[in-house]
Amino acid sequence: MTMNTYLSNTGWLYRFDPRAKILLLVLLLGWLFLPITLTGLGCMLLVILFVALSNPGPRFVLSTFTSILPMIIFMVLFAPFNVRSGTGLITIRSFVLLTEEGALQALRLAIRFISITYLATLLFATTPMPEILLALQWYRLPYNASLIITLAFTYVPFIADGFARIEESHRLREAGMHVERKRIGKIRSLIPTLTSSLVLALRSIPTLALSLELRGYGRANKRTRYHDLSSYRRTFTDFLISGMVPVISFLVFKA
Amino acid sequence: MESSPISSINSLDVTNLSFSYQGWAGEDPPSLFENLTFSIPEGGKALLLAPFDSGKSTLGRILVGGIPKYFPGTLEGAIKVMGHDLADIEIWDLLDVVTLVSQNPQEQFVASTVEEEVAFALESLGLPQKEMRRRVEDALTSWGINELRQASNSELSGGERKRVLLAAAEALDAPFWILDEAFDDLDLRWREHLARFIQTTDKTILLFSSRYLAQFDRLFDHVFLLEHKQVCRVDTEQAAGEFAILSGDVKPNPLAGRSFEHLHRHTLSVSDLVVERQRFSASQAQRFHLQVPTFRLHSGEIVSLVGPNGSGKSSLSRVLCGLDEPLEGARMIDDEVLDGSMLNRSVGYLFQNPDLQIFLPTVKEELSYSLRRVKGLSDEEISKRVAECADLFELKLSHTPSTMSYPKRKALQAAVYYLLDRPFYILDELDTALTYHSALAIIGHLQRNGAGILIITHDRQFITRVGGRVYQIEEGRVSER
Repeated sequence: MTMNTYLSNTGWLYRFDPRAKILLLVLLLGWLFLPITLTGLGCMLLVILFVALSNPGPRFVLSTFTSILPMIIFMVLFAPFNVRSGTGLITIRSFVLLTEEGALQALRLAIRFISITYLATLLFATTPMPEILLALQWYRLPYNASLIITLAFTYVPFIADGFARIEESHRLREAGMHVERKRIGKIRSLIPTLTSSLVLALRSIPTLALSLELRGYGRANKRTRYHDLSSYRRTFTDFLISGMVPVISFLVFKA
Repeated sequence: MESSPISSINSLDVTNLSFSYQGWAGEDPPSLFENLTFSIPEGGKALLLAPFDSGKSTLGRILVGGIPKYFPGTLEGAIKVMGHDLADIEIWDLLDVVTLVSQNPQEQFVASTVEEEVAFALESLGLPQKEMRRRVEDALTSWGINELRQASNSELSGGERKRVLLAAAEALDAPFWILDEAFDDLDLRWREHLARFIQTTDKTILLFSSRYLAQFDRLFDHVFLLEHKQVCRVDTEQAAGEFAILSGDVKPNPLAGRSFEHLHRHTLSVSDLVVERQRFSASQAQRFHLQVPTFRLHSGEIVSLVGPNGSGKSSLSRVLCGLDEPLEGARMIDDEVLDGSMLNRSVGYLFQNPDLQIFLPTVKEELSYSLRRVKGLSDEEISKRVAECADLFELKLSHTPSTMSYPKRKALQAAVYYLLDRPFYILDELDTALTYHSALAIIGHLQRNGAGILIITHDRQFITRVGGRVYQIEEGRVSER
């Protein structure tokens, strides 16, 4: 009922202390919204992509990009038209369709969106979920809240996987060669798939709750930990890196 | 009705248990159990045989306190588990008292990896880390899933999932185990392992099953039949015979004497196929390749595919029906190479888990779904075909699939494909949770027009009843036995 988001590999990010990794994630997420030059944002995206390629690997980079591609296309197509002032790039008679500022704004938004997506998914792809839970608790997050966060991040892929399976099931249930396959029909067929995914998600709620209780969730005694973070031996260095990277890059690229 | 002799301490005492699920939309559903009374002494090994759709899984959930708490209904009677009255105890406090291994193992996973799943309950018990590590190592080793410790639930086969749950139960070490169709999904090696465990353990075992397997002989000291909403105890020596009568397994084999000589014959075949499977989250055993040098399935014949858990049976099935692409090789029908989308419409694949293939609010809508997409079929014709199909598979058109029992959902899954009338079908562990007779009847229905059928199963008795050629997977290679 839950799925792993971890992708086994041996890159340096896998050996980076999860506590420092969470700090780095939070600081970099904040960094992306600071007044940074477009060049700076672009450089940061390249660095993030390089880290992704050298850690989980190209398959991860590609699959993550594919999953957000519709959103990026939507953003690139529509965001530029929100900025009406500035130097016109495309004009139809006297009407300015696209301005330079609008295009740059869209590019900035797209870079931020892609960077945020890769930063968040990198954390879960390179850190086993129990260690994320331990790291969150190290930041004094209560156990229940940590468990809910980690369950959510394993439950959502389960639902996504369910969607993929239901979609496959629909493909197998196409009636035959003489079936109606108009484009509108294809779009319409998304509705039962989405409905089915929702039904699957709703149906699994009581089962998941029961399974958690059968595994002892809710007991009065204190839970112990099977995992610990003692295998990370460069905690101080990792924290130092996590603090320095955002600060130095801000000083270099501030607008 | 007969209960076991009163012992000084019983692991389970069920007295006058009656239950019916909450009805929807004013419907008043029939009761599943009426004044059900039975008990199992401490250390007893009990087998509860029940035809499909008789409420085994519901009973399992009731015995661990999950019903009516999470699945509303009216429950009457008294249940004592290891001396604890279920009315006075929370589910989580039964953790070190009773363990339930579900029929559908996927629904019980709460952690993200195999190792974490086995350890989760031990953390709840508050055990020291050293003790947890010892128990987890022992359990993973015992059930042969050491190399899968980092694998995600979604990367496991059905049999591997079941072994994870059994490993979690072993690590937990509760004195009373409720095993709902625990032998299903396991290959022969692990069925024998589980049988040995039941034979040698001092724990109380209650196994639910809808088939009497060869491994059950002399394994249990108590055998019950769940019949007409009540439990009755039967002699262990006569259990197989009595259950065969109850479940209809003594009826003539629906597949016997069938002949499809007159039909236009098609052949599904492959040449030098290589199927790949990867486990992205496991550090070891990340990928394997399954070689299929040759495979042929003709119209009208039934072929079985056997192999150990996780050997790639489902991966091969996905390639054969066009859901996945092979790494190498070609898939053909009548020697014509076909792509995935063509195979989608020629090879019906009934997933191991029916819940991934049925999703509409009613049986009627579920059965009508594909027919409505066929050009030229009138509403009257669709209704007629749907009604006939529902009769054949003993389904009620107004029922809601999500509240139907697991075997009924499997029957509905098969009924959906029956209406599609594919030339080939792959049935992935169809026999799970079904009686032999009902599984054979479903195959008979699907084969009415001479479809070629590939059956994936771990049950040798089932293969014998089905007959036909057998392919096996050994050391990453498919060959005809």
